[in-house]
Amino acid sequence: MKYEVVIGLEVHVELLTECKLFCSCPNRFASEPNVNTCPVCLGFPGAMPQMSREALQQALTASVALNCEVALYSYFDRKNYFYPDMPKGYQISQYYIPLGSKGFLEIEDNHGSLKKVGIGRVHMEEDAGKLVHEAGGGTAGRSSMVDYNRAGVPLIEIVTEPDLRSSEEARRYLEKLKSIMQYAGVSDCKMEEGSLRCDANVSLRMPGDQAFGVKTELKNMNSFRAVEKSLDHEIKRQAEILDSGEKVATQTLRWNEDKQETIVMRGKLEADGYRCFADSELAPIELTAEEVEQALQKLPEMAEERAQRFVEEYGLPEYDAGVLTASRCMADYFESCLNLYNKPKEVSNWVMGAFSAHLKNAGLEADQAFFSPEDMAELLKMIDEQVISGKIAKKVLDKVFESGKKPRQVVEEEGLLQISDQSELEAIVDQVIAENPDTVESYRGGKSKALGHMVGQVMKATRGKANPQLVNELLVKKIDG
Amino acid sequence: MELRKTTVYQAVEAVLEGEVTAHQVIGKTIKNCSVLNEGLNIFTSIAGIDALEQAEAIDRKIQNGEKPPLAGIPVAVKDDLCYGVLPTSLGSAAFNEFMSPVTATVVERLMDAGAVVIGKTNLDDMGQGSTTLSSPTGPTVNPWQAERAAGSAGAAAVATGICMLAVESDSGGALRQGASHCGVVGLRPTTGRISRYGLNAHCSSFARVGVTAFSSENISGILDLVSGFDERDAATAVCRGGISEIIKNPGSEDMTIGYPVTAFDHLEPDLREIFEQVRDQLGSRGYRTKEIDLGLLREGLQAYYVLALAEASSNHARFDGIRFGKGRETDSLEEMYRQSRSEILGKEARRRSIFGTFLLSKGNYDRYYRQALKIWKLVRQHFEAAFNECDLLMLPVAKNLPRPLKEESSYLDQWSDDLFCAPVSLSGMPSLCVPAGQIDQFPIGMQLVGPPFSEKTLLAVGSTSGPRDMGEGPLSQ
Repeated sequence: MKYEVVIGLEVHVELLTECKLFCSCPNRFASEPNVNTCPVCLGFPGAMPQMSREALQQALTASVALNCEVALYSYFDRKNYFYPDMPKGYQISQYYIPLGSKGFLEIEDNHGSLKKVGIGRVHMEEDAGKLVHEAGGGTAGRSSMVDYNRAGVPLIEIVTEPDLRSSEEARRYLEKLKSIMQYAGVSDCKMEEGSLRCDANVSLRMPGDQAFGVKTELKNMNSFRAVEKSLDHEIKRQAEILDSGEKVATQTLRWNEDKQETIVMRGKLEADGYRCFADSELAPIELTAEEVEQALQKLPEMAEERAQRFVEEYGLPEYDAGVLTASRCMADYFESCLNLYNKPKEVSNWVMGAFSAHLKNAGLEADQAFFSPEDMAELLKMIDEQVISGKIAKKVLDKVFESGKKPRQVVEEEGLLQISDQSELEAIVDQVIAENPDTVESYRGGKSKALGHMVGQVMKATRGKANPQLVNELLVKKIDG
Repeated sequence: MELRKTTVYQAVEAVLEGEVTAHQVIGKTIKNCSVLNEGLNIFTSIAGIDALEQAEAIDRKIQNGEKPPLAGIPVAVKDDLCYGVLPTSLGSAAFNEFMSPVTATVVERLMDAGAVVIGKTNLDDMGQGSTTLSSPTGPTVNPWQAERAAGSAGAAAVATGICMLAVESDSGGALRQGASHCGVVGLRPTTGRISRYGLNAHCSSFARVGVTAFSSENISGILDLVSGFDERDAATAVCRGGISEIIKNPGSEDMTIGYPVTAFDHLEPDLREIFEQVRDQLGSRGYRTKEIDLGLLREGLQAYYVLALAEASSNHARFDGIRFGKGRETDSLEEMYRQSRSEILGKEARRRSIFGTFLLSKGNYDRYYRQALKIWKLVRQHFEAAFNECDLLMLPVAKNLPRPLKEESSYLDQWSDDLFCAPVSLSGMPSLCVPAGQIDQFPIGMQLVGPPFSEKTLLAVGSTSGPRDMGEGPLSQ
């Protein structure tokens, strides 16, 4: 393509805190509407906001994790607009002075080298509630309801400089941002649950141009993949417009995941259309240089450092270390398993293999699965103790994922206990020898593969439960006699 | 026991000594209240059985040997302060039956001390004004002269002797002008001294919760009970480690009372004369009085209105019809907003919201709001500078006599009544309104303004200054 792509992202991240930003309501998902509410987050007259120190601490951690300069003095503003999910008719946000600014994070660019993506600002704000629209097509009798459980949940908004040059870079930026936020313990960044939300600004220009082209804003992308796809779609659309000599219009577009296309939303207010001004019900946010320094010191290990440690401490191959640290909860899961069963490579194989495959199928994160580190350790111990074979262990893992039962319980209930009883196996071994005279012959003739075939037969007859080592020994003993 | 002629201290003693029970005091007060309210329109709601039960509970405590410091003291609460037991109308016709889940900190503290809320007092449209003329239930009549407005209903409740104390909000001067027009004493405290949690502020930067009483002594008696840190109002953080009071003894030679000459130039000669007399009296009582310079009153008034209207447009945005007001079905969201806001906000509140929205809009923020912020800062600096030259300063409260009930006045005229009060609001400093004299039958008040946390000095000076005997008092006709 002859144009240079310019992308900037605005990401909202829900902070992991006990309480909402300005009241003591729990910051927790609730399926029943309007249970996590109080006069403050419902905007009742007379109820005044109190800033949560915990949320400030989280926002500070996020700012330093993103290499930002932290404002020692900042304050909250009100962003004024009417919408039913906003109880006060304004959103408390930081408009004039963001908590963090001039930060960056590093990604691989299109050519595989490291690239700094500038972060213009990180600011704190409160989330809005949710509208629940009654199903049904026609206008008549249609109604909408509001659930304020989410209203007042602490967010940070992270705004990049227009530094991204392709949809792929945008996706890599999001992956890196998610990893940093998760490792810093600031947010779980689950896009499908809305704890990470992303809007994208995109424009095209001729390479070498200093000025930016006219940008459009994309909204409503529900996955990193959707961000990438919607950007590709929009880049193509803008290129076609420019190719035909037309001008791109400033618009906000909504991504329609089902149709894989964008829809024009109604015009958006310019930033200064929100009539922002300082909220005088809240005290200014004052931090000391020491507090900022402490936040920096206390930053937990990030993905790269952890991978490095996995290689050095556990002797894992770099590949394993990379896969295991791709998300913090996976790395945490791995290390929790190790605490209970200290064979790093074995655990790594199981976590990266069968366990990850299940997570992927179910669309879950490591901390959401039924299969706990205790279960993993139990499973691996059963293999060691020859209670089950490795093959059966995979079946057990499947069952645990489905049912949530404990591995040992599954083994018992399903009768999957490994058969290590010699007399029981002998009968089957005798039978297999009797039924396969040709194979026995070729084994005697020096074809060692033939033995493997017979082991397989025994395993088949026992539905995989036979102790393979024992079967091997028995066969050799009986045939070689 | 006639409340007007008793101090809070004496009244509490009488209850604690068993001369009279809290139940008797409150019972009589409620009866009194209902009778007087007919003609004066002081209350938006009057307590009933709840208040009597509270009084009984206090009597039981006393029998058990407790000594609640405000045992059985009847209190009036302005109806922009939430109190969970009585409806909180906020000055809106749509909220006349609204039971708030919130009770204001100041009300809680008074009740904990044994005071009993007698009723909620009338206020302007969404609490915006210093006259009660824009109240959805009509103005409160001045007890001294039935043709004119009281200014504030809490002041009227105290002046008539219905209640011993009134807690009221004051943003641009409602509490102070009410006290002035009704001949009682009203304190607007230093920023952060008294928690505003539970106040439906139209203008959070300047709204304060203050106290009105019949005398300075009565306010002194309760000030500590309502002051201090409250984690629910961020502004009170200044009091977290205790309050550093500025206390000076009245009458001592080294106390200088500043007299900003040019301020008094705004007054008609007869009003001006009253203040000159007070200044001379203060001099003869041993105070040093000193002419000082205090500019920016007009600019302060203008800045106050820019900031107050801007904040009101935001503070009142929550009244969108989703959670408050009548449920209604409309074809569009915009229509629902229009209908709901027309129902909840009266004419004055709508005017202020519209102006405020305009003032914050694109381009206007720099043109008006930012300029007003600068003036705010300058006014504060002017007051700070004044206190380099004097310990306290005196200012008028009202430019005019109370507004006549029947005469139409423009909103701009009404706003400019805050000429002497609004700049003090910008300064963040405490102001005590005390009676200064009378013109015909009308009481005239003056403000004593001091540096932050000088309330106790203001009250001490207030108790010695000004005419203490206001004759037969209101309602003598």
